[in-house]
Amino acid sequence: MTSSAEDIPAHDISILLVEDDPPTNWRLKDALEQAGFDVAAAMTLAEARASLDRRKPRVLLTDLQLPDGHGIELIRESRARLPDTEIMVISILGDEESVISAITVGATGYILKDAFPTDIAATVRELVAGHSPISASIARFIVRRTQSAAEPPPGPPLNTTKLTPREIDILWGIAKGFSYAEIASHLGMSKQTVPGHIKSIYRKLEVHTRGEAVFEAVQQGLIKL
Amino acid sequence: MTEKAKPASGGQGPRSRKFASRLVQYVLLQAVIAALVILALRHPLPEPPARYLVATFALSDRGAAREVTLPAFVPSRSGMNDPAVFTANFTWTRGETEQAWSVYLPRFTNGVEVIVNSTVIMDSRRDPSANRPDRDTPEIAVIPASLLREGTNELVVRLYAWEPISGFLDRLFVGPDDVLRPYFEQRTLWFVTLPTVFSAWQGILALILIVLWAVRRHEVAYGMLAGAMALGAAQTFLVTVVDQPRHPELNATLIASAPLESGFILGFAILFFARRWPRYATLIFVPGVLVVLVGLFGTPLALRTTFMLLGIPAIGVNLLLLALVVGWSELRRQDVPSLMLGCAVTILIICLAHDLLMVAQILPDRRIFFSRLSYSVLLVAIGAGLTWRFANALNRVDGFAAHLVIQLREAEEKLRASFAREQEQARAMALARERTRLMRDLHDGLGGQLVSIVALSERGESASGIGDAARAALKDLRLVIDSMDDIGGDLMLALGTWRDRVAAQLRPHQIALDWQIAPPGLPVHPELRPSHVIQIVRLLDEAVTNAVKHAGAKTVTVHIATLRDASGPYGCITVEDDGQGFATASDGGSGRTAGRGLRNMQTRAARCGATCEVVSGGAGTRVRLTLPHRFPESDAASG
Repeated sequence: MTSSAEDIPAHDISILLVEDDPPTNWRLKDALEQAGFDVAAAMTLAEARASLDRRKPRVLLTDLQLPDGHGIELIRESRARLPDTEIMVISILGDEESVISAITVGATGYILKDAFPTDIAATVRELVAGHSPISASIARFIVRRTQSAAEPPPGPPLNTTKLTPREIDILWGIAKGFSYAEIASHLGMSKQTVPGHIKSIYRKLEVHTRGEAVFEAVQQGLIKL
Repeated sequence: MTEKAKPASGGQGPRSRKFASRLVQYVLLQAVIAALVILALRHPLPEPPARYLVATFALSDRGAAREVTLPAFVPSRSGMNDPAVFTANFTWTRGETEQAWSVYLPRFTNGVEVIVNSTVIMDSRRDPSANRPDRDTPEIAVIPASLLREGTNELVVRLYAWEPISGFLDRLFVGPDDVLRPYFEQRTLWFVTLPTVFSAWQGILALILIVLWAVRRHEVAYGMLAGAMALGAAQTFLVTVVDQPRHPELNATLIASAPLESGFILGFAILFFARRWPRYATLIFVPGVLVVLVGLFGTPLALRTTFMLLGIPAIGVNLLLLALVVGWSELRRQDVPSLMLGCAVTILIICLAHDLLMVAQILPDRRIFFSRLSYSVLLVAIGAGLTWRFANALNRVDGFAAHLVIQLREAEEKLRASFAREQEQARAMALARERTRLMRDLHDGLGGQLVSIVALSERGESASGIGDAARAALKDLRLVIDSMDDIGGDLMLALGTWRDRVAAQLRPHQIALDWQIAPPGLPVHPELRPSHVIQIVRLLDEAVTNAVKHAGAKTVTVHIATLRDASGPYGCITVEDDGQGFATASDGGSGRTAGRGLRNMQTRAARCGATCEVVSGGAGTRVRLTLPHRFPESDAASG
């Protein structure tokens, strides 16, 4: 995942960072500012909402557990009101479930809390360029849901019916640690198109809430986090 | 009779009172039956109109001549050459009718020749059933028209009577055939046809019982009854020819088998109702066997005498004993077979008593024996009783089957419950094992690293040192969490996640990761356990960490491939760096640390049945991990 297409200057990219843990907040803010991004930080859901209305950021980077609410609500609101904003969740290790939950309400990327500063900046840049990140474990989580099982595996409900066989093949490749080049050559496609497919997969997993029931279901999945 | 069946009553409780009332009921029932039978026996058999009766005969018996009125007796005699001759006249007029005329003899013992106008028109000795004195066979003979003369005709009846039975000639009738024949047919039905039908029934019973006994040899009762029925059937259908029997002894013996037959029936009843064989019960067969022996080796006269003097009383005694056994059983058990058999025996006893009293001239003697006919009642009772028993046994079998089904279901439920419990236990044990492993993994990896973080911070170590240690702790935590994930035996899925981590680990050190997979990667191992995965990933981590810390490498290459040998495919993972390598035997610090790491890697590989070779030189280090064909099942891999 080397940075490739990079057209927009970093200072033109505004980021809203929502993280209630001060050390993590500082660390992420430093990493992004050093990379030249325009960063505004919020510690609570209320601050984040205010800032979201005011600044209309290009990128929303949010934690899920906030003192006055849940990051999922913020993602939903942002997705509804600011369709152009890229949404990333701040994830800790081993919680693919929360990343997947965020994806189902509209997030298209994630950052690990303990990632190296350079990686944090690179990931944001890639996302703005249209390349969503994906880890082997997230890919594995999604493909597992595509396999019909008698008993649904634990975790948030995930509708994978819209995924094409080719997209599932890509996910399998990523889950098994194949590189984008290997996946592309195996599936007879261009290496450059693979990252685009990831974003498309995320979009397909998004639940367009027409009723509260679906949201409730997502919430149910989240309550277990 | 059955009335003598007195219970051996103990106390005066309600039980014995109940028993007494049952006894009274039973005795009353038998008395009613006996009364009805006596009433029926006293009812005279129908006779043709008296105008066709020829009653007065001139009898010439052993040279002496006298006038007799039928019915008449003549003493028995030893030979066939000297019959008693009855002579009478009857009147026939041609004008009266054009019908055929017949001579009808309702009853006689033992044989008759009928002669009309000096011509023999009938000889009963040619009719086997007529030769049996116990069967009340009637005879009718049509007088050929050419023999009849207008006016007075002569009728002569030669009566043959062989010892020990005295001769008897009942009232006889001469008249139109169409008047006499219905009476003849009626008697034939009662005394010939019906007994034959019942004998056929007896034959079928014999066959059924023989089969029953053959299949269930321990049921001697059925064997005995089979013997009785077979004897009865055989003696009925065996032809009795007076003049030239082919096997006279056998013939005579079979005819005289009734005492043995009665013994068998009694034996059956004892076994069937009492269910045990009293010590002296075998004596019941003695008279029967004696009669048979006499029949086989003695003269016909001796046989007849033995039969009369020993056989018939034996039959009587057997019947009385039978009544006692059956009555006792009915009182004890009150089941249908004993009740039916009890009533039948009562009827038979009354009939036999009637016949004996008649022979003894105590009752008016018309030589009509009912014993044989009443024996049919016993046969019917036996058949019905056996069927009842059989149907009951079937019901019991059904009940038993239903009971079994219920028991089986209960056992099944118990088994299922215990199986579920066992499964639950197994699951709990697996869970406990997994928890133990997890705790050990956390303690060994994360615990150690956190301790070293504490130590570093207490020593006032630089922040970067503490950061490295914390990072290592995080990495280990992630490894433990990852190992919990179900990867369905596909090590590639675990390596995929590990790749992400290695890439993140190498990036800050400006070391490139060259990740090569020879498709399709590694074989799937259904037996792969989290403990195996954690050992392999830690081993690979060790290899990469060595490359980062000690080798000064620019590129780390990970190569994943499936190899194949005689026992099948196996995986091979190689971690290679282009660093300066290390000398395993050198005393240098890096060498020693690397040496310890090396031993660590060997141990980890051994725990999951893999082998690990390390080759190090100036051009870099290569760690080659060869996976087993099958991962070991045991928990030895954990730790």
